[in-house]
Amino acid sequence: MHATICDLITDLVQNAFEADATEIKLNVEETENNLKVVIADNGKGMSATTLEKAKDPFYSDGLKHKHRKVGLGLPFLFQTSEMTGGTAAIESEEGIGTTVTFNLDPANVDLPMFGNFTTAAVTLMTYGFKGNLTIEHSKDGKSYSVSREELIEVLGDLNDLESLTLLKQFIEGNEEDLKAI
Amino acid sequence: MAKMTLEELRNLRDSKKKEMTQRDGDKSAQIVIGMGTCGIAAGAKDAFDAFLEELGNHDIKDTRITQTGCMGLCFSEPTVEVAVPDMPRVIYGNVDANVARRIVREHIIEKKLVSDHIFDKPAADIISE
Repeated sequence: MHATICDLITDLVQNAFEADATEIKLNVEETENNLKVVIADNGKGMSATTLEKAKDPFYSDGLKHKHRKVGLGLPFLFQTSEMTGGTAAIESEEGIGTTVTFNLDPANVDLPMFGNFTTAAVTLMTYGFKGNLTIEHSKDGKSYSVSREELIEVLGDLNDLESLTLLKQFIEGNEEDLKAI
Repeated sequence: MAKMTLEELRNLRDSKKKEMTQRDGDKSAQIVIGMGTCGIAAGAKDAFDAFLEELGNHDIKDTRITQTGCMGLCFSEPTVEVAVPDMPRVIYGNVDANVARRIVREHIIEKKLVSDHIFDKPAADIISE
């Protein structure tokens, strides 16, 4: 499995980029007893048969790399949830989109560390895809939300070093505010 | 660091813009970080953070950092492609935070290749497409 929950989230949101979604929502809700993550996209979706296959680590649609026989993103999610007594579910409909939802127990000793959400958010916002991504992060009732479209409107080219530095400051500030008591 | 609103971010952006010197688009460095499942697992985000920090420390502004999926070099992740004008386009492998800092200092600033981390080109199944 991935070393941190944020690595897992990054991997799963990238699936939405690759599904040609124009609207992606990443919602991370942390409370004392639960970590809930929802990744919803309006991309091309999957048929029931493909969805079943996608849970197999030795399945890949072969579009990205034709000789590649593995696809580890979703299997890493199921491995993590099964090993730690959490739940994970995917709903998908062809032409409509896909929603991945998982709930994990922060107190479980086998759960990977949460990781660095700031870097995960900055890399996702600047990944270079055409659609919009909205990230909402809440912790014990406090929350912030920001979309890629808003950031582009404010900062311009997000991959420019100066924009990246400012974006990191912006997310870091909001993250620190979430953690402050 | 205090919570920042989008409006404050905009103001900060505007104040930085005034400080910026005229850029020459052809002279800027391009960094592409492999951020597929393999890259993420190998620590590509640590390399990303190190690039941001080291470029900032040296006050280098005219650089773009983008990301791509798996480059077909999973065994040498994190992989990073660096393009600096008048230098060969290079793919570096096993780029942890330290190597990322070396790439900034040696490749981007001193214009010398970081030879012990060079990978020639992506694996055959990627470039034959």
